[in-house]
Amino acid sequence: MINLLKTNFNAGARINAFTKQSGNAGAIASFVGRVRGENGDVDSLYLESYPRVTETSIQEAINAANDRWALIDVLIIHRIGTIKAGAPIVLVCTASEHRRSAFAACDFLMDYLKTEAIFWKKQIGENTAEWVEPRQQDYQDQARWK
Amino acid sequence: MKIFYFGRLSDRVGMRQETLALPTNIETLFALKSWLNDKHDLGGALEETSIKSMINQNLVHGDAPLTGCIEIGFLPPVGGG
Repeated sequence: MINLLKTNFNAGARINAFTKQSGNAGAIASFVGRVRGENGDVDSLYLESYPRVTETSIQEAINAANDRWALIDVLIIHRIGTIKAGAPIVLVCTASEHRRSAFAACDFLMDYLKTEAIFWKKQIGENTAEWVEPRQQDYQDQARWK
Repeated sequence: MKIFYFGRLSDRVGMRQETLALPTNIETLFALKSWLNDKHDLGGALEETSIKSMINQNLVHGDAPLTGCIEIGFLPPVGGG
């Protein structure tokens, strides 16, 4: 399931709900990403998506994860719009019978979201606002799966 | 035709989207980019090689006819989530 939200979300509550609905899964992995304040330089991020196109591309990544690992369920929640420093921006949950698949798929999906997902990101500080692109490290992380 | 400008392009054009009736002589994507470039004084921003184009939400490579096109998206490199 994919959820692009314009409002804040409670990551803990979402993980609990995902765990409850994942039936007999023996392993639940989750990752919560928060907006880094960069020591006060960043007040917020502004994230833009291309409605429907962004969701379709994320679904393709989930399909690729399902082809690669035996997953019982996947949840991706991603914020769009303005997100304040410290707030959660992304949650990825994966459920599988055993831990290795859940860990790996969660990692894989996060690397996809950081480099290829269709989002544009503006970093906003007190006197600055600039569009940012993935770091070299993000591309290196993603290349591990090819 | 609906046209969407994403990321830094929206700042450059001064809007995120617009709906335009195209002149009849604008029949291809490249012709449209050139026309929009002049219309909004974009200094070639749409013609940069890093800008991807989607016609009716499908990625196109190179030039393409605009027949049946109801929506175009101009996408700068994505920023990651």
